[in-house]
Amino acid sequence: MIEIRGIRKSYGGVEVLRGINLTISSGEILALIGRSGCGKTTLLRCINFLEEYDAGEIMLDGELLWYRQQANGPRQRASEKELARQRQRMGVVFQQYNLFPHMTALENVCLGPRFGQKVRAEEAERRGRELLSRVGLSERLDAFPAQLSGGQQQRVAIARALAMKPQVLLLDEITSALDPELVAEVEDVIRDLTTENIAMVLVTHAMSFAREIAHRIAFVSDGQIAEIGRPEEILDRPRDPGLKEFLRRIR
Amino acid sequence: MGQYRAWVEAYGVAFLEAAGWTLAVAVASFICALIWGALLFFARLRGGIWTDRIVDGYVQLLRNIPVLLPIYLIYFGFPLAGLLWPAAICGGIALVLQNGAYISEIFRGAYKAIDRVQPDAARSLGLLPWMAFRKVTLPQILVHSIPALGNQAVLLLKDTSLLSAITVVELTMQAKVLTERTGAAYAPFVVAAIFYLAMVSVIELLARTAHRSVRWK
Amino acid sequence: MEMTSSDVWVMAHAAQISLALALCSIAFGTILAVLLTPLAFARLAIARFAYRLYVFVVRGTPVLLLALLTFYALASYWGRISPYAAGVVVLTIYLSALFAEIFRGGVLAIPNPLWDSSKSLGLSRRSIFWRVVTPLVARYSLPPYLNVCVMAVKASSVLSIISVWELTFASREIIERTLDVYRVLAVASVFYFIMCFAIDRVGRWMEGRLAAKGFAGEPA
Repeated sequence: MIEIRGIRKSYGGVEVLRGINLTISSGEILALIGRSGCGKTTLLRCINFLEEYDAGEIMLDGELLWYRQQANGPRQRASEKELARQRQRMGVVFQQYNLFPHMTALENVCLGPRFGQKVRAEEAERRGRELLSRVGLSERLDAFPAQLSGGQQQRVAIARALAMKPQVLLLDEITSALDPELVAEVEDVIRDLTTENIAMVLVTHAMSFAREIAHRIAFVSDGQIAEIGRPEEILDRPRDPGLKEFLRRIR
Repeated sequence: MGQYRAWVEAYGVAFLEAAGWTLAVAVASFICALIWGALLFFARLRGGIWTDRIVDGYVQLLRNIPVLLPIYLIYFGFPLAGLLWPAAICGGIALVLQNGAYISEIFRGAYKAIDRVQPDAARSLGLLPWMAFRKVTLPQILVHSIPALGNQAVLLLKDTSLLSAITVVELTMQAKVLTERTGAAYAPFVVAAIFYLAMVSVIELLARTAHRSVRWK
Repeated sequence: MEMTSSDVWVMAHAAQISLALALCSIAFGTILAVLLTPLAFARLAIARFAYRLYVFVVRGTPVLLLALLTFYALASYWGRISPYAAGVVVLTIYLSALFAEIFRGGVLAIPNPLWDSSKSLGLSRRSIFWRVVTPLVARYSLPPYLNVCVMAVKASSVLSIISVWELTFASREIIERTLDVYRVLAVASVFYFIMCFAIDRVGRWMEGRLAAKGFAGEPA
């Protein structure tokens, strides 16, 4: 239900994404792996239109995202209102500094629904409490990010993304910046979410976790998807030479 | 002792009045400078490249010339243009023009200090740009600016002393007048200094308290 | 009446005086500050208190007031004194407080491990001072130091009010004579801008040279 076709992007003369094609089904979990600089984070940011891409299309359930259909002539960027509405169908969790430091955990989670989706305050708060309880932080609703550990902050960030009732979750190396002992609590939350019908795209270095929960793993190299397949195929029987080299290095 | 007592009784009122003027000009100018600085900051944020360049030129100019020049500009220039306004107002306008430039830079520095993920996170939640700015960026700019703004307030207070050069009867002018009138060498200046130091201390205390009262840092 | 080109020459001459006043005060102020900064770290609490009091008073009082105070105080002890001398004294005192705080900040910015490692290398205190502390403090202090140098040029204009003939004084004279307010102030602004800008540029060049010698960037 997410179709990504022909995405290209250049930064100052260097082509970072060179024609990405990807289809992600409803409720599918896809892991993106690759060396630093291969473009996986850029791709994630393009999917949510935090970066503009130079060419290609992204469709969600058949609707063209981020740009307007043009009969002929160059594509036109959608209006701010449309962009906001489309972004609400996806949730993003970043590697760090996710949370708004001047708001409590609960306020962070309620912000999107209240001011982006115009949900009423009581309803937003109810949803927020429920989600924070689900990620195991019902005790810390009124804590500020500065008072929370890294793992707790990431869990609030996940709750905040879920509060928008997204169809897709985009997760950009959400455990890379955490102290090792805090990684497990975040992975537990993600594992718990796999039972929902939410598609997920995870950029990650945590191979064992990817193997465990991903339906497919895509290896991004040099701005293209060099190989894609089920975890066992990718991790145990790699065919692409770049992928073999990559796996050898991180073992 | 009696000599000092007589002195205080004779001139205490004059000093208090002058201190009142100093405060009045300082407070009024600071508030206006905050508004002007905010306008300049938004102009740079939202305007095109030419607005940015023009505002930057204005800021750079005012940062590299002494405060007396804008003061003389307004004080001598306004009457030429037919505006016969009181010296205190002329001085106040000059102070606003100057401090507004510095304040816009303070806001700009605070804005740049917010890490890049914040606006991305706000956008990814599907908030409209102005709503994201209002709820996420603006509160943080305001809080991060408090220390520097407190500093600027102190500078502005001290700059009010320059208005004595354009006949405004504030603390410095009053001290000068009393010194010449009573031949008391330099005692009035010391008294004026004490007033200034007291005011500066209050401003610094306010700024520190404001900054500390923010619970989320 | 309009200002003439001879007026511009007069202002140029006055600008040189402003610059001279500023540079003298910067020199003396730096020396005084170097003597003051150690007080901030003295073992004697009285010394530290004296330092903080000095800085508080000098920074909390307007320069103009300091100038008037100094001028009248010196005049009451020594009779007629040159406004230029009083001016330099005031600016020196003013700048010394600012410089001292900058140097103090520089010392505090030295990362703690450096103190420990120099001691563990068995360096003498004198050696540590000259080879470790001074170069680092100089490097850390350079940007704010130059900022204060620019402030010195701007502060010199305040001396016009105690009858020191420099650029602002000359500008006011010409304005009161010709009423050519805008042009005179524009010329004065250009002169000040050039002086301040030049200091800024010199500073950037010096920072570049220091960076090339292998100093780290801003302290952690």
